[in-house]
Amino acid sequence: MDRGLVTLIGMSIAYVASFAGLAFAYWGWKKHLRPEARKEESR
Amino acid sequence: MVTFTGLDWFWAGAFLLLMVGGAFFFYRLARRSESDFFLAGRGLPWWLPASSVFSTHTATDTPMWVTGVIYAHGLRGLWYTFFTAWTAIASFVSARIFRRSLAYTQAEWQVMRFGGLGAELLRGWMAGWQVFMNMFILGWVGIAMGKVGSLVFGWPVWVGLVIPSAITAIYTLAAGYWGVVMGDFLQGIVAIFAITLVTLVGLSAVGGPAEVSARLVEMGDAWRLDVFAFTGLFTGDFPVAWWLTMLVIAVVGGFGMGTSIDWYVEAQRIQSAKSVRDASYGLWAGGALTLVRNGFWAAVILAFFVLAPNIADVADYELGWFRMGFELLPVGMVGVFMGAILAIHLSTISSHLNLGALYFTRDLYQRYINPKASERTLVWMGRAATFVLLLGSFFYGLMMEEITAWLIFALWLMMAGIWLPNILQVVWWRFNAWGYLASWMANLGVSWLVVWILPAFGVIPPLPDYGQFWLLMALGAAVFIPATLLTRPEKMDHLVHYYVQTRPLGWWGPVQREAERRGLIAPEAKPVQVGGRPLIRRTWTPEEAEGWSREDWIAIVLSPVVYALIIIGVARLLLGQVDGALITLGALVGAFALYWVIDPKLRAVSVEYETKQARYLEELERSVRWDESALDARVEG
Repeated sequence: MDRGLVTLIGMSIAYVASFAGLAFAYWGWKKHLRPEARKEESR
Repeated sequence: MVTFTGLDWFWAGAFLLLMVGGAFFFYRLARRSESDFFLAGRGLPWWLPASSVFSTHTATDTPMWVTGVIYAHGLRGLWYTFFTAWTAIASFVSARIFRRSLAYTQAEWQVMRFGGLGAELLRGWMAGWQVFMNMFILGWVGIAMGKVGSLVFGWPVWVGLVIPSAITAIYTLAAGYWGVVMGDFLQGIVAIFAITLVTLVGLSAVGGPAEVSARLVEMGDAWRLDVFAFTGLFTGDFPVAWWLTMLVIAVVGGFGMGTSIDWYVEAQRIQSAKSVRDASYGLWAGGALTLVRNGFWAAVILAFFVLAPNIADVADYELGWFRMGFELLPVGMVGVFMGAILAIHLSTISSHLNLGALYFTRDLYQRYINPKASERTLVWMGRAATFVLLLGSFFYGLMMEEITAWLIFALWLMMAGIWLPNILQVVWWRFNAWGYLASWMANLGVSWLVVWILPAFGVIPPLPDYGQFWLLMALGAAVFIPATLLTRPEKMDHLVHYYVQTRPLGWWGPVQREAERRGLIAPEAKPVQVGGRPLIRRTWTPEEAEGWSREDWIAIVLSPVVYALIIIGVARLLLGQVDGALITLGALVGAFALYWVIDPKLRAVSVEYETKQARYLEELERSVRWDESALDARVEG
């Protein structure tokens, strides 16, 4: 397999995993952390 | 193929049983809490993290890689292996800061250092990256073991990939990090024994250390004994520019966190140490032992070169160390050698299984999915994640062998682009989450531009590795510095909290002044001493020891020098060179001086933390006992 293509595939998998973690964090932040932070602020 | 006698099978089996059984013994400790399953309760004396740092740095593919660079470059190849020297400064700077943060992982540290949505995105990003990275390393190291199994027994590659990893998973699943670290200790001893044995046998096979050197001179390869055999300032395959770049990446990288891929693994060891002092010494000693190991390997690989000087294929000469062991050791000892290979393999597999599970459990599951999970649930989630990682590594290792090989290179590029941001996030208060996130994103694009696209279109010539590194760094900085300065700094409340807890080194003036104004820390008082300040101060109160002083800077300068003396001295000493003995002696004196200068301060810093640590563990014990008794009552009911 071509060196450039292989590296592209490999790096893409790494970045997909990282973006998945980032998306998870955004979802968790909206669902759990932001409401808690707002509750804290309103006290 | 190697012939195994009954005695060889006995020794290999006995070592395997000792390593697995010894680690499994700690099953009960691991189930107490998440802290025990992933950090051994943060109570380890320095020598346990040290042995774990050494064992984790020694994987199945490590002797292949070290053999490759020494066979091709001679002793100057030792500088390629000197990347381990990131621990020289990190032991006294970033390890201290990270240990004080009490973060379980580097991803968790991100939300302590930065705040708001940006910090959470970073934590998720890093957790995803690390879950992948650990699975990738497991697959990569597993394939290396598969190749060894194929060489020794003629087994199909999948056998070496699957069977040892599955055995490792048994004690990692049961005993968590307790199993990892206790296994690493036993595996470290076995590995050191075998490395020493093969070096002595290999040197004897040529006729002794002096004979190896004499033969190299006769062959017209005397330059292979010179660690500074440069090929020019910018030309040839070992120019000064490349050497300096490697030194800067390794040594200066110690000011940051994540400048080396190994940081993420060692961060767990740093946090599992019982105090700042133990964390510092654990990391330093583990790094030093790794350099000694490289010196031993270098000597025996030069002996291998003398015996077999004309191997052109990299894949063939990379197996030199394994060949020396299997071909030269007598019957019975071959089994011991196989036991040692299993030891270095198991230690790496167990570390990455547990670390990948830690990132998933702590930074994704507990933080974003089930923040109210009990300790018991978290331990079970850790086990489930370990199992899934194991299966993922099999898939990755078997299906993507070729991609994995090139991904190593891709990951190096990745580290090049975020090397500077990894330092800035530690030493510069104004650097923020958006700047750091921008550096990761920018790196994806610029690495492709610099390495393939621009050279392919003739915009720039193909660059040597050191040229790529500096250009990637400059292009990345052109993105992340404006991103930092065009977005708001982190909130001062958040920064002050972080500053008071970790007392970082670097440009933190505005935050320090704010913390002082709020009365959270005492203004940096110059200690009053009769007759002025001594050149080296050896009496400190915990408050005085919090700041950075001349003693820290002496350690920062002396530590990499000692490391360099160790790696050069040991290799040349084993090759019968007189200067090797003198350099090794210099390393020992330097190490003692380092200890003499920094130990009083590290002790003072640690006193306060050990007290807090004891309270924390006491509290944990109470809560876990309650948790277990409540569960027992429910079961009985």
